Amino acid sequence: MYEIRFHGRGGQGAVMAAQALAEAAVLEGYYAQAFPYFGAERRGAPVRAFARIDESKISIKSQVYEPDALVILDESILEIDPISEGLKPDGKAIINTVKKPEEVDLGIEVECGTVDATTIALETIKAPIVNTSILGAFARVVDIVPLESILNAIMNRFGEKLGHQSGVMNAEAARIAYHNTVVGRCKGTRTIVRKKVWLPAWDEIPIGNTLSAREIDGIAVGPGSMAQNLTGTWRTQTPRYSKEKCIRCLRCWFSCPEGCIERQEDDYERWDYRYCKGCGICAEVCPADAIEMVRGVYEW
Amino acid sequence: MVMKVISADHAVAHGARLARVEVVPAFPITPQTLIVELIAEFINDGELDADFLPVESEHSAMSAAIGACAGGARAFTATSSQGLALMHEMLYAAPQNRLPVVMVNVNRSLGAASGIWVEYNDSMPERESGWLQVYIEDNQEALDMVIQAYRIAEDRGVMLPMMVCLDGFVLSHTVERVDFPDQQLVDSFLPKFKPLYVLDPDEPVTMNPITPPEYAMEMRYQLHQAVDESKLVIEKVDREYGALTGRAYGGLIDTYQMEDAEIALIALGTVTSTARVVVDHLRSKGKKVGLVKLRFLRPFPSDELRSIAKNLKALGVFDRSVSFNGFGPVFTETRNALYHLGIPLTNHVAGIGGRDVTFEEVREMFSVIEENAKGHRVKECHWHGLRGGS
Ligand code: SF4
Ligand code: SF4
Repeated sequence: MYEIRFHGRGGQGAVMAAQALAEAAVLEGYYAQAFPYFGAERRGAPVRAFARIDESKISIKSQVYEPDALVILDESILEIDPISEGLKPDGKAIINTVKKPEEVDLGIEVECGTVDATTIALETIKAPIVNTSILGAFARVVDIVPLESILNAIMNRFGEKLGHQSGVMNAEAARIAYHNTVVGRCKGTRTIVRKKVWLPAWDEIPIGNTLSAREIDGIAVGPGSMAQNLTGTWRTQTPRYSKEKCIRCLRCWFSCPEGCIERQEDDYERWDYRYCKGCGICAEVCPADAIEMVRGVYEW
Repeated sequence: MVMKVISADHAVAHGARLARVEVVPAFPITPQTLIVELIAEFINDGELDADFLPVESEHSAMSAAIGACAGGARAFTATSSQGLALMHEMLYAAPQNRLPVVMVNVNRSLGAASGIWVEYNDSMPERESGWLQVYIEDNQEALDMVIQAYRIAEDRGVMLPMMVCLDGFVLSHTVERVDFPDQQLVDSFLPKFKPLYVLDPDEPVTMNPITPPEYAMEMRYQLHQAVDESKLVIEKVDREYGALTGRAYGGLIDTYQMEDAEIALIALGTVTSTARVVVDHLRSKGKKVGLVKLRFLRPFPSDELRSIAKNLKALGVFDRSVSFNGFGPVFTETRNALYHLGIPLTNHVAGIGGRDVTFEEVREMFSVIEENAKGHRVKECHWHGLRGGS
């Protein structure tokens, strides 16, 4: 059995990638499954997806804890999750990054393929949806399913869902990524730290499923807690505000789904970047082009 | 002490008044209507300082009751049958958030085969919701239990919503003598509601955030423990109420003529009263019969039942609702509790769809149990009063 774990962000298509990989494996005559795991968060939140490939029918229905391959659709997640936890010593990793394999530190030294999938996606499908590009890289690093099957699976799934032209563009992204992937070995010097989450025993949970602002333990509880869910870590692009262009119409303030644009006394804006998830809505609605979305995570 | 001749619905309304409920969102449905009508009058006449919210559905009634309770108010509502079913979704919000709403459910059959008469198939399915459930035998108990219900529900060790279930028409529209405890006495027994958390804009809290698997399971277990631990509080509150008013009901479970009984019937609701008379009658003929009055379905008094039943030769369980192709829910619960004792058990389904349960039928139940005790072959599940076979 070959097990793959995908790490990405809501909107990058990790789930579709896992499904397309499973389909490619099935086209090759294997049995395969793929499934997601995510919370109730939205676009930008870290998500996981899993795939299993085997020669006989797969019965196991739990998540993948010791993957043979890791697919990382967003490099920034390395700073949030202990991504490589459980990765087998002879496992492989495929990472969307501009770095070379030897510049990436996964905390475990394994065979590693890197590719700038975001640029490829932006150029071919005109959106930072990297799932198909990363699959091309996968085919290059892991020789379980050949590129042809992956391209066919992409045509099937994306063509069916989004139309033939979209299938062609996505397959093209995968093909380019396949060729651009650099294969080497990553570093294993960082220590894999488990995320510090408060996992209380049943009798330690505050009674009543209520989180009080004053209870330190309370705000550390996972469910929806702001202290833990710094949605600012979700962004791949950051809004940059030019006060000079701003006509103070407040449309951005009104439209921000995170409520992280603060209105000042004089109606100019201030950004709380801890919670800006980089959705770009503010820039979209701004009539004065006073907000520009810049790739990367910044604070201004 | 005041004494009146009133229906159980009105007894409930007086109970709510004496408990000084503060918010009453309600939607009228037969046979619960008399409750909310009288409460509305109390509020209108200044006899009760509460907000009455005439809502547009039972779903809203429960939502508003939960919201009021979260806001720190003592909330009351009442419903029946289809109304309870419509609340189903919202019912689940109260227990896990530990909001001690008290609701009276006037038991009525749930359509199709629509009827307005008593059957327990409206409240029985809600035993998985986390609500405590007590079943009432007479009008006095109806009034007393509304007051007790708040003491139990609001106890720091419990903090769970509670459903007081009473038989439609057989109680709701039947007048009986009811004694009223003094307001002062009730006040001393039932202090003001102290919530765990209050929804207050000045001191914000988050209630009921989305709960991922890492936490949900522990939270459910916590609730499971709370329902279990409510047993002690129920017993304690009943004893205290008894000391204060002279009326105690046995807590979770009550017995009649069980000391030397060889066979017995478990009953709940108004059939318990009829069964008492049948027990007297059979005793007068020298038969060693007894009666177990099951008061609470949640928490289910498994341990108590085991110690009461351990020396019986046979036991019958009355059910006023059906689990199709299975047994009645009370039977299923009882058999679970008594499994290891190996006592021969029979299930007695009667009074379905509001069919009257007669003295004769209850006597028939006892004769089946008696046959069973003698080791004769009897069916495990009997429908009493059914035309065509039995
Ligand atoms: S990108 Fe703009 S709209 Fe989106 S979260 Fe950030 S500030 Fe709000
Ligand atoms: S939408 Fe643009 S112009 Fe309007 S307040 Fe925001 S930044 Fe200023």
